[in-house]
Amino acid sequence: MRLTRWLRPWWFPIALLALFEAYLRVVVQQSDALAPPSAALRAFIGLIGDGSLLRATAFTLGSAALGLLIGTALGVAFGVWFGLSGRAARLSLVSVEMLRPVPAVALIPLAMLVFGFGLRMEIAVVAFATFWPMLLLTQGAVTQVDARLLEVSRVLGLSAWQRSVKIVLPACVARLFVALRLSVAIALVVAVTVEIAANPNGMGYAMMIAQQSLDPAQMLAWLGWIGVVGYAVNALALGLQRVVARRMGAAS
Amino acid sequence: MSLLSFDRVAIHLGGREILSPTSFEVGRGEFVCIVGPSGCGKTTLLRAASGLVTASAGEVRRHGVRVTQPSREVAFVFQDYGRALLPWRTVRGNVALALEAAGAPKAQQAARIDSVLAKVGLAAHADKFPAQLSGGMQQRVQIARCLAQQPELLMMDEPFGALDALTRQNLQDEVARLVRDEGLTVLFVTHDLEEAIYLGDRVIMLQANPAPGRPSLARMLPVGIAHPRDQLTTKEHPEFLTLRRDLYRYIEHGHHAAH
Amino acid sequence: MTAIPRKARPLGSSLGSGIVFAALVALWWAASHAGWISRVFLPTPEATLDSLRAGLAAGGELASFTLATTLRMLEGWLLASLLGVALGALIGISPTARAYLQPTLEFVRPLPASALMPLAIALLGLSPAMVLSVVAFGAMWPVLLATVHGFAAVDARLLEVARCLQLTRGEFVRTIGLPNALPDILAGMRLSLTVSLIVSVVGEMIASQPGLGQAILLAARAFHASELFAGIVLLGVIGFASNTLLGYAERALLKWQST
Repeated sequence: MRLTRWLRPWWFPIALLALFEAYLRVVVQQSDALAPPSAALRAFIGLIGDGSLLRATAFTLGSAALGLLIGTALGVAFGVWFGLSGRAARLSLVSVEMLRPVPAVALIPLAMLVFGFGLRMEIAVVAFATFWPMLLLTQGAVTQVDARLLEVSRVLGLSAWQRSVKIVLPACVARLFVALRLSVAIALVVAVTVEIAANPNGMGYAMMIAQQSLDPAQMLAWLGWIGVVGYAVNALALGLQRVVARRMGAAS
Repeated sequence: MSLLSFDRVAIHLGGREILSPTSFEVGRGEFVCIVGPSGCGKTTLLRAASGLVTASAGEVRRHGVRVTQPSREVAFVFQDYGRALLPWRTVRGNVALALEAAGAPKAQQAARIDSVLAKVGLAAHADKFPAQLSGGMQQRVQIARCLAQQPELLMMDEPFGALDALTRQNLQDEVARLVRDEGLTVLFVTHDLEEAIYLGDRVIMLQANPAPGRPSLARMLPVGIAHPRDQLTTKEHPEFLTLRRDLYRYIEHGHHAAH
Repeated sequence: MTAIPRKARPLGSSLGSGIVFAALVALWWAASHAGWISRVFLPTPEATLDSLRAGLAAGGELASFTLATTLRMLEGWLLASLLGVALGALIGISPTARAYLQPTLEFVRPLPASALMPLAIALLGLSPAMVLSVVAFGAMWPVLLATVHGFAAVDARLLEVARCLQLTRGEFVRTIGLPNALPDILAGMRLSLTVSLIVSVVGEMIASQPGLGQAILLAARAFHASELFAGIVLLGVIGFASNTLLGYAERALLKWQST
């Protein structure tokens, strides 16, 4: 029956939440560490009401978006350059290999030192984290333009500009949006991580504060919300990627 | 008692009739070839015979017992050999899989693998990976694995369809020899009429476009040419030519009748 | 819990590349000495080197911190990999399990591992156990999801071969399921290692556990830029070394792919 199939993804999480609810209400009854899902829901509604949900979510999404913008702009620029110029790619190899392995979180204290707390610090770390995947995937996309297409461009006598615009760029676009989707996920994860580790703003910080104030209901509300936001953002990015792929003629 | 019998076997899948009621028997040691145009259900027939597919109506019986699932007694050679071999195991390792599945004692395995590889002529390539072998060799690995099962029935689904003409001819002769040496019973599906006549003791032709009420089995002809056969002389044998003309005419007729 | 997997590449393949890097370092030297960027934020290369030397020497703490972070990362990663493969295999081979659990798995996939820290702190306090549990939980997902995919994506032909050979569930997992999933599992483990390092560092920062994470946080708070940079360099080294080694292991295990 269609209804049962539609419900199927929900059985497991509902069962889990019900179990959790029962356990906390019946067995534990009172705790500073955990709260039943019903209490978390109530706390969540409270957060919507007093505006803190919107503020914190806006901060996290905003800093993630701005950091992503910078990281993507620079990453794509360098990626296209390295992709088109074999020489540039070869000369940059050691530098890239030396700088890339540094985990973005290692830069949190540095960003803190330079920018203090706030928006700029988080943007900086997100930009660093998203720069590398965009660079490498763009470079990969450009170098993997089908050799046959490039031969066609030579046979047709296309200029370098025409070749870039009519052949290379369209051929890359689909893969660029795949890279973007990946980077969107990274941007959000890094933003939340920065807030948990250091930055006193945003959803991650709100969750930490809730835990420190021994308000488990609110903490769990934030955790659930972060999960929902992450899922939604990823789904949107995936949708965008698919739309672009279809427009660019991918077989689907 | 015949080894394998089809008793009014019909198969419907996804609302379509794939095979209309078909009945015939296969005796021990027989080499039966099944031919027919695309969509006549010959591959599905083979899969029903090996238990990979269950009949929607009628029964497939082996030794008088209904066939409901695959058995190690019935070996199956797939057409897409690349996908049927384990890419991470060597030739030897792939053949070993059959022995491991049968629970053969470790001590005996090496000797049995070597003997089977020698039979298909792959002894020198035992430690190569499938990706390093040509198409014909990969198909031989699959055949070797099937032989290692020591089956009583060998099902072959257009095994040489993806190979070039010369390789195909070589493998035809090899399979004919192996089957004779091992005393196997074979059900061989092919779209190639000449191949069917060359290899088979009997050729079964299926109708195109199976429809309920119209049996799929169109013709069943014995091939009265002696073994061992030979690519050159057999194909000039009068019986071969007669059968060939017969079958081609039938296809043409069926083609015209359908249009 | 998402990060880009690294492909380990051979270093120093071109002298020019090394020269470009040296030029960047020279730029760093110039910038810090000329004061284009305040030395509070950008220490000179020599100062960084001095901090590194002092820290790694007998009396310094950087060596033990590096070891602590590395061990934390490895411990969590190994635990996560074992759990991830075990659970992933169980879920992966059962289409029913996948149907019920996959949506939940897909929901947890984008969740940042560090987001679980407040919950872990509530349950386990600011302790090494807290950090380890979050590292293991966070690093488990890439491996689990990759394993599920690896098992779910077995070629239909190989499934049929398994049925023909009548392999038991256990034999199937061992001979076909696991090797087939291995490339996916290794890719997942590579992602896992990245997550593991990140969460270890964050954990050390939050829970004040001895390690490079705590070291660089304290260095930043005390405005000791050279020590901060020394720590960052060491974290880069850990990242580089672990990925390179894993890359070698991956190539060795997947030898059959390149043949």
